[in-house]
Amino acid sequence: MITYRYDGSFEGFICAVAACLEGGDGQPEFVQGCAVQMAGLFAGEVCEVATVRERAMAFRKRFVEAVSQEAFATARYAFHSRKAGGELLLWRYLALGLKMGERFCLMLAEEPVHSINRLARQVLCEAHKYKGFIRFREVEAGFLYARIEPEADILPFIAPHFVERVGDRLWMIHDLGRNQAALYDLKSWRLIRDIELAADPAFTDAEQEYTSLWQRYFQRHAIKERHNPKLQQKHVPLRYRKHLVEFTFPDPSFDKGESTNR
Amino acid sequence: MITIPLEQRLEILADSAKYDVSCSSSGSNRAGRAGALGSTSVSGVCHTWTADGRCISLLKILLTNACIYDCAYCLNRRSNDIHRAMFTSDEIVELTMNFYRRNYIEGLFLSTGVIRSADYTMEQLIAVARRLREVERFNGYIHLKLVPGADPLLIAQAGRYADRVSINIELPSRRSLALLAPDKPREMVINPMRQVSGLIVEAREARKESRRAPRFAPAGQSTQLIVGATPESDREIITLTEGLYKKLELKRVYYSAFVPGSSDNRLPMMPAPPLLREHRLYQADWLLRFYGFAAHELLDEARPNLDMRFDPKSDWALRHLELFPVEVNRVDYELLLRVPGIGVRSAQRIVQARRGSRLGEIELKKLGVVLKRARYFLTAGGRYLGGIRLDGPRLMERMLAPARRPARLDQLDLFASLPDASALTGEL
Repeated sequence: MITYRYDGSFEGFICAVAACLEGGDGQPEFVQGCAVQMAGLFAGEVCEVATVRERAMAFRKRFVEAVSQEAFATARYAFHSRKAGGELLLWRYLALGLKMGERFCLMLAEEPVHSINRLARQVLCEAHKYKGFIRFREVEAGFLYARIEPEADILPFIAPHFVERVGDRLWMIHDLGRNQAALYDLKSWRLIRDIELAADPAFTDAEQEYTSLWQRYFQRHAIKERHNPKLQQKHVPLRYRKHLVEFTFPDPSFDKGESTNR
Repeated sequence: MITIPLEQRLEILADSAKYDVSCSSSGSNRAGRAGALGSTSVSGVCHTWTADGRCISLLKILLTNACIYDCAYCLNRRSNDIHRAMFTSDEIVELTMNFYRRNYIEGLFLSTGVIRSADYTMEQLIAVARRLREVERFNGYIHLKLVPGADPLLIAQAGRYADRVSINIELPSRRSLALLAPDKPREMVINPMRQVSGLIVEAREARKESRRAPRFAPAGQSTQLIVGATPESDREIITLTEGLYKKLELKRVYYSAFVPGSSDNRLPMMPAPPLLREHRLYQADWLLRFYGFAAHELLDEARPNLDMRFDPKSDWALRHLELFPVEVNRVDYELLLRVPGIGVRSAQRIVQARRGSRLGEIELKKLGVVLKRARYFLTAGGRYLGGIRLDGPRLMERMLAPARRPARLDQLDLFASLPDASALTGEL
């Protein structure tokens, strides 16, 4: 049994899978570079896998040719669910795909395809929800800033959407739970890990004005005779509401003192 | 009307716009442009949901809620005593750009009351859309309302800037229109719809020839019908809808449960809006568009209204028990779609998965197929999934029963009077 250590990125994971398939290892284990060594008592040999883009692309090409583009995309989504045990499941998924070839796409009801599909669907859904739930706020430093706390690691899926959409401003989407952010510099976006804010960002005056207009609009748009908070909560579960300006009313971040210390 | 502060006008004009139920931002797929704001995605994106559970996708507002017409069902009718307000086109453009940039919305839905004349009003709407597109280079979604009676040239212009255009029929029959909206003959609504339908087809053909040909309302057109304000049957409504989808290729027909509020004696007195009926109509609408049903299969002269107890598909299946149960491993996709409880996605997954392996009950559950209603209409590997075979009336009873477990276990209710604890393990 070999433990493969990679850098935590999807490319790195694919390199680890490729290394493991070359080695013919039937029972690998995967750990991320940042994780403390947890293998413990039964730890086998540790293999450090370097992330090489060409190697990952070569594996991708091989898998897509053997199975399909959709199946690889599914694996990518499922990987970003960052669920415990997901890596092993994915390894089995990718290995089985290479073995079965095109027939693999028909194995929807079999393991591990079914589990991977489910994971992927959850990530896809959450990413789609966040395309609507991102709330950019204009900070005085001159860019748009949004906070999220998603369950899955969705930044790689939503950032390209906002690159297309808000291409005329600098922006940053901050995943609080993972301490990472997607940063757009008017040309392209990149992922920054381990970020820490020195202080809460200060919002501009215009920001305050539009937040309040939006809140008013939001309140007025509900039809009294159709009041249905249960349905509303089904669509906007409470855990999303913390960072949605229309649900945080009145807004504490506009307290006078806060805007000066940045 | 412009002297009222902006935030109050926003409230007034949002209030007046909210009864138009069209909400979608789908159907248009346009990539963003470098250095400009906006893109559209083909699935549409919902951005939030209000306290009534309806989504907000577009900034839905009126240019003005002043109106020269006096349609009895409409909040903004001339004779109604409400606050009137108006936006300038600058204000709408500013609101749209700033809301969009903060990702509150997918785009703008601009409607209006009719002021001065239909042509003048339509020109005002087009001016806003043109400014957004040409001056601000806004590339997001725009839904424009067409004003009944506006000049065909103006309508042709509107579709150049908008992703979707719509004009509301509101009342399903000519006689109701004549009664409640005497200023708006049916032709004023149907003719622009016909024209738009033709222009959409034309633009689509032209774009096949050349990618440079201008688009015309790439996300199509939609309309709305008010439900419950007039005595039309569901059959009349669904038949009209079917015609609109088939002949005019509409993308959507929306149904709006009539919210009573006016004391006009031409309108029915209702304690609450008919929400369940609205829901059933939407279900029937989906059956027309995605499940291959025809209006006459769902409703006929003997049964002019949808059954409020069942969804229309269950209702249809219960009347056609001779077709069921079907074998899930063999049945055609078309008939599979007609099994109650099985949606398009489930049906597609079944068809895909059964080519790989034989499907039983466990596999169906793994595929995410909900068997609650479907089990009574399916066999898997020859085994009927519904337990005991039932005839029509008893099956109907079973499907309506609120109980979670099958009725045949009811005789075991010996311990029903005991408190909720395990009698078997002696924990009492």
